[in-house]
Amino acid sequence: MLSMHPTFPIERSLPMSRLLLLIAMFAAFTMTAPLQAQDASSTPLQDALQSVQADVASPSRSTVPQVLAALLQADAPGTVDFLRAWGDRAVYVRDADGLFFYAQDAPDRMLTLIDIDSGASVATTSSRDLSQIRPNAGVRREINAALVSFELTHPDPARRIAALETIARSPDADQIIPLTAARDAETDTRIIGRMDRLLDLLNARFATDTATRIDAIEGLRGDINTEARRVLNQTLQTRAEFASEIPAGTNVARIRTPGEDISLVDAYATLSDAGLAPPRPGRNAIRDALRANVVDGEVGGVPVHLLTTDERRREAYRALQEAGIVAPLVTEADMRAAVAEYVFFDAYLEADPVVTDAARDSLDSTRTAISFWQFASLSLDALSLASIFFLAAIGLAITFGVMRVINMAHGEFIMMGAYTGYVVQTVIPNYTTSLVIALPLAFAVTFAAGVVMERLVIRHLYTRPLETLLATFGISIALQQLAKNIFGTQARPLTAPDWLAGAIQVNDVVSVASIRVAIFVMALGFLLMLLYILNRTRLGLEVRAVTQNPGMAASMGINPDRINMLTFGLGSGIAGVAGVAIGLVAQVTSEMGANYIVQSFMTVVVGGVGSVFGTLAGATLIGFLQKGIEWFNPANTLAAQTFMVLFIILFIQFRPKGIVALKGRAAGD
Amino acid sequence: MPFDIPRTTATPAASKRSFLHENPSVLWFMGLLGVFTLGVTILSEGFGIGLISTNLVKILGMTLCLCLIAIAMDVVWGYCGILSLGHFAFFGLGGYAIGMWLMYARTEINIRDSLGRGTIPPTELEVSEAVAAQIFGVVGSSDLPLIWTFAHSLTFQLAMIVLVPGLLALIFGWLAFRSRVTGVYLSILTQAMTLALSLYLFQNDTGLRGNNGLSGLQNIPGALHVPQSVISMWFFWASAFALGAGYLLFAWVVAGKFGSVIRAIRDNEARVRFLGYNVEGYKLFVFTITAVVSGIAGALYYPQAGIINPAEIAPIASIYLAVWVAIGGRGRLYGAVIGAAFVSLLSSWLTGGGAPNIDLGFYRIVWTDWWLVLLGLGFVAVTLFFPKGIGGLFDYLVRKKP
Repeated sequence: MLSMHPTFPIERSLPMSRLLLLIAMFAAFTMTAPLQAQDASSTPLQDALQSVQADVASPSRSTVPQVLAALLQADAPGTVDFLRAWGDRAVYVRDADGLFFYAQDAPDRMLTLIDIDSGASVATTSSRDLSQIRPNAGVRREINAALVSFELTHPDPARRIAALETIARSPDADQIIPLTAARDAETDTRIIGRMDRLLDLLNARFATDTATRIDAIEGLRGDINTEARRVLNQTLQTRAEFASEIPAGTNVARIRTPGEDISLVDAYATLSDAGLAPPRPGRNAIRDALRANVVDGEVGGVPVHLLTTDERRREAYRALQEAGIVAPLVTEADMRAAVAEYVFFDAYLEADPVVTDAARDSLDSTRTAISFWQFASLSLDALSLASIFFLAAIGLAITFGVMRVINMAHGEFIMMGAYTGYVVQTVIPNYTTSLVIALPLAFAVTFAAGVVMERLVIRHLYTRPLETLLATFGISIALQQLAKNIFGTQARPLTAPDWLAGAIQVNDVVSVASIRVAIFVMALGFLLMLLYILNRTRLGLEVRAVTQNPGMAASMGINPDRINMLTFGLGSGIAGVAGVAIGLVAQVTSEMGANYIVQSFMTVVVGGVGSVFGTLAGATLIGFLQKGIEWFNPANTLAAQTFMVLFIILFIQFRPKGIVALKGRAAGD
Repeated sequence: MPFDIPRTTATPAASKRSFLHENPSVLWFMGLLGVFTLGVTILSEGFGIGLISTNLVKILGMTLCLCLIAIAMDVVWGYCGILSLGHFAFFGLGGYAIGMWLMYARTEINIRDSLGRGTIPPTELEVSEAVAAQIFGVVGSSDLPLIWTFAHSLTFQLAMIVLVPGLLALIFGWLAFRSRVTGVYLSILTQAMTLALSLYLFQNDTGLRGNNGLSGLQNIPGALHVPQSVISMWFFWASAFALGAGYLLFAWVVAGKFGSVIRAIRDNEARVRFLGYNVEGYKLFVFTITAVVSGIAGALYYPQAGIINPAEIAPIASIYLAVWVAIGGRGRLYGAVIGAAFVSLLSSWLTGGGAPNIDLGFYRIVWTDWWLVLLGLGFVAVTLFFPKGIGGLFDYLVRKKP
C-alpha cells in the first residue's frame, strides 16, 4: 500500500510543509468532528470531489494539496478508502457527467459502477464511456504520504495501530514528519509509546540532522527488539575497500593488514581483479597452460610423464613464459611488493564517524542485553529438558532405588503410555477430553503391565540382578517389535489441545512453548505426589522399610512381595504418564522409549540411586549440562549428547554414588 | 592382499599337549571348524563345485566373525563377570579402521586412473584432493580429515585395528575398574560409552562420513579384478583362521591359574581382592584383550558386509551380542560359538524371507515381523529357565556317559 520510493529532501521540503499544515488542520478538526460531521447532502464525498473535479480527474503533484484540503473540509466517511483507491488507480470518471466511481469487472468487457459514497452498485456501462484515473508515481507518493497521516490521526485506535505497523514494516524517511505531527496530537499513552519507538527507529536511520540521529540511536541502546537491532546493524554496514592511501573523510571501520587480517593471496586477488596487478596463475591455471602446450610429449623441454610435482610444473611453465606463450608467474615476493603499495580497509557506508560510534556503542550494550536474555532463554530450555528427563527417570528411580532391579523395558513403558494416548485420541476427537482421559488410562495400562512383568519375570530373578537386566532387555525387544507390528513404523501424532499449542512470548529473544510449561508443572506435581506418598502414607512407610532392610521389614509384618509388586507397578505407571507427556512434545514411535532409556539411567546414576531428590538433581544437572554444551555448539545436538555422556562417565569417577548418596546401611551393596 | 590358506586343523604343538589333553573341546572344535571350512571350500563357487552361492559364503564368513566376537564376549562376561555392552563398539571400530584404508586405497586407484588419462599426469596433491572430494562429497566437505592422514597406509590401518579398540578399552576400563564400578552400573556405563561413540560417529563433521558410513568395502584394492566369489573365500578362510586362533587363545587364557582367578573374580570379587590379587589388573587385561579380538573380528566382518555405518555400533547391537552368548550358554567357549551361529543364522533365515510364513487361518504370521518378538521372549525364557543355554545340553549329554 505505502509503496514509497526514495526521495530527495530538497525536492520534498516544499510539499511536506504544506502537508504538515493539512495534518495539523485535520488533527484539530477530528477532535471536534464527530459532533458536526453530518452534512445535509447524502453524497458528501462526491460533492467535495466535484468541487475540485479537474484536479482529481487529472492529478499533478502541485494540485494534490487542493484536493486534500477539499476532502478535509468535507470530512466524508469514505475519504480514506477513496484516497487509497485513487492512488491504486481504481477510481474512474464518467466522461458524460464527470462523476467519480469505483468499478468492478462485469461480463462482456463491461464495468459495474460503484458509488463512492454508499458503496452500492449503480449501473453497468461499457468501459469506453469511462476513463480510469492514472496518477503518476510522484502523485501517488503524495497521496500515500497523505494517507499515512490520515490513518495516523484516525479516530479509531485500531486503525492508528495498524498504520504504525505498516510504517514499521516499510520504514521511509518521508514518514518522520507525519509521524511527529501525529505523535503530538496523540492522546492514547500506549500508542504514544509505540510512536516514540518508531520515531526513534526512523530518526536513527533517516534523520538528516546528526544530533537528532544520535539522540535516536541512544534511545535504541539495549533494545533487544529485532527491528531496533536491524536499524543499528544497517547503520554499521561496511564495505571492503582498498586505496593507495585512505581518502580523507572515509569512515574507516578497520584496517586489514595483509597476511594477518586478510591473506596475501586474497589481497593480491583483489588488486588483480581491479586490474591493478597482473593476475596470478594458480595451480589450476598452470596445469591448464601446460596441458594446452604439449608438443611431442614435452612441455617447455620437460617430458610430460615427469610433470608429477609442482616444481617440475613450474619449471616447465617458466620455459613457456620465457618463450612468451603464457602470462608470467607471480612469486610471493611479487605479491608482497604489489600489496605493500595499498592500504586495505573496511569502510562504513555511513560517512559520519560520530553516528557509527554511537551506533556501535548502542549495539554493544544491546548485545549485552541479548546475551543476558539468551542465557535466560537457555535456562528455561534446560529446565524444560530437565523436567522431561525427570519424568522419564523418576519411575526408574523408584524401581531401581527400592528394588535394585534394572528395568530395561522402562523405555517401552514410556512408549506404551504414549501409544495409549494416541489410541484414546483416535477414539475421542476432543483433544482436551482425550488428554484428561489418557493420563489416568496410561497410568492404569502401564501399572498393570508392570505388575504382570514383576509377577512373571522379575520375581524369579531378585538374586541375580545382571540377569534381570538381560530378561528385561528381552521384554524390551519383544515389546518394541510388538508395537511396530500393531502401529506400524511411521510416527503417530499425539496432538496437544489448542490451549497448550501456543508459546508464551516474553520478548523477541525469549519464548517458551506452553506445552513445555505444562510438562514442567506436571513434573513438579509428580515430585510432590511422590514425596507425599513416600513420606506421608502407609505404603510409603512400608516401601521405605523394605528399601532399608527387607528381612527386618518382613519380620515386622510387612509383606515384601506385595510392596515390591506395588512399587514396580507405581514406577511403571509413572513411566506411562511420562509417555503421554513426552508424546506431546516428541513423536510417538516404537523406538521412542529406547531414546530415553540410557539418559534415564544416567539421570538415576548421576543423581544417586534410591532418592527422589537425587533423581531431581541428576535431571537438573543433565538438562542444564546438555543445553550448556549446545550453547557452545548450537548447530550440533549430537555433539552435545556425546560430550554429556563423556562427562557423566568422568563424573562417576569422582562421585560413584551420585550427587545424593545414601548414607548408612541403606547404602550398602 | 593374498591370504595363506589357514591351517586350522594342524595347530597343536608338542609343548601344548597337556593343555589340549585337559581341554578336549579345543580339539573337537578345531576339527569341526576344519571340516566345515574344507566343506564350504569344496562346495563354493570360487574354488569348488559351486553348490554354495557367493552370497551364502559371505554370510557364513560373517557368521564366523560374529562367533569370534561372541567368544570374546563370553570370556569377559561368562568367565570374568563383566557384562560389557560395549564390545560391539570395538567391533565397529575395527571395521572403521580397515574400512578407511579400503575406501581410500580404492578411491585413489580410481582417481589415478581417471586423472592419468589426461594429457599431463596429476601431482600427489591433486590426487589426494580429488580423493578427499570424492570420499567426503556426501557430507559437504572436500578436505581430508586429520584422522585420515595415514589412511593410504595399509600397515598403519592394520595397526589401528588393534590399537584403537585396545587403547579405548584400556582407558575406559582403567577409569571404570579403578573407581570400583561393578555390576549393573558397569553395564550401564559401557552402554553409555557405546551410545556416545555412535552419536559421535553419526555427526557429519567427525571425519567418518556421518550416517553414510564407509561403503564399497567389498572391493579390495590390489585385487579389483578378482571376482567376488574368490575374494569371499579368502575372507572366509581368514575368518575361519581368526576364529580358530581366537578360540585357542581364549581357551588357553581361561585354562590354568589365570582362568581360575578370573572365574573367582566373577563369583566373589571381594574375596579375591582380600587374597591379595590385583583384581583391577586382571579385569583390565581381560577387558582389553577381548576388545582387541573384537576389533579384529570387526575388521574381518565389514569387508564381507561391504558397508559400515554408525547404526552398527548403536547400543542395541551389543545387547544382541549378550543375547547370543546367553542363549548359547555362558562360561563355555563353544556355547558362545553355538549361540552366535544359531541365532544369527536363524535371524538371517527368518528375516531374509527364507522361512515360510505360517497361516493360522485368522492371522498370518510373517516372520520378518515376529522374529524379534520371538527372540525377545525366547531370551526371557532362556534367562529364567535355562541359565546355561544351549551349551548346557552338552554338559548334560557328557555327564550321561559313564
